Amino acid sequence: MAVTAGFKDDLLKAIPSLRAFAVSLSQNVDKADDLVQETLVKAWDKHESFQPGTNLKAWLFTILRNEFYSQMRKRGREVQDTDGIMTARLAVHPAQHGQLDLDDFRSALEQLPEDQREAIILIGASGFSYEEAAEICGCAIGTIKSRVSRARSRLQEIMQISGEEDFGPDAISTQVMTSPAD
Amino acid sequence: MKTLDKNTTASAPGRESRTADPLGPNSEIGRKLKQYYDDLVHDEVPDRFAELLGQLERAETAQDKD
Repeated sequence: MAVTAGFKDDLLKAIPSLRAFAVSLSQNVDKADDLVQETLVKAWDKHESFQPGTNLKAWLFTILRNEFYSQMRKRGREVQDTDGIMTARLAVHPAQHGQLDLDDFRSALEQLPEDQREAIILIGASGFSYEEAAEICGCAIGTIKSRVSRARSRLQEIMQISGEEDFGPDAISTQVMTSPAD
Repeated sequence: MKTLDKNTTASAPGRESRTADPLGPNSEIGRKLKQYYDDLVHDEVPDRFAELLGQLERAETAQDKD
């Protein structure tokens, strides 16, 4: 059975999200683009195994995630190419949202082990539920919860953010956007 | 289904979200995470992916003719 035009369109629409997930996971834009490419090819090849009406995004994220870990296992853990990352990011991202702040955040995120990083991304950024994230990662919901919790604590530690609002460079926008600390 | 929707709690300061969301809009980490991720989502997508899908489609059409 051929791939439908609808399926192809859905794949196209999913690319920005897939790319965001791939970059967050691999912390390398080049590797991320290769991962997205592999994911699209695999998704196309096994399109018949996708149940129409179910969560395509989750299905695609699962393929991408499996590909990421499978490549990692084959190559062994490579040293992060931080120069490559910085160069690629400068080329790709315009300065918005306080570039320095986000660079601090990115490097903090990079320090997390992959399982914690992917958990906090899936829950806190990609918009999946705990149940969906657990399916994508092939583990229990409780495992996702504890990884998210550990990731969050670790990020706070690295960035020296307390549980209360931090009066950092974006203090003004913080005051405007939120109520006084509870 | 629990999803994190930017629109739900931002306009109700001080109100606890349904389950005191540790990554919600009152969380510094949550906000930075979303900013970081949204920048990535809104990045320009290289042409290679649309081209790839076009190639896959043409390859399939060619096979179907047999």
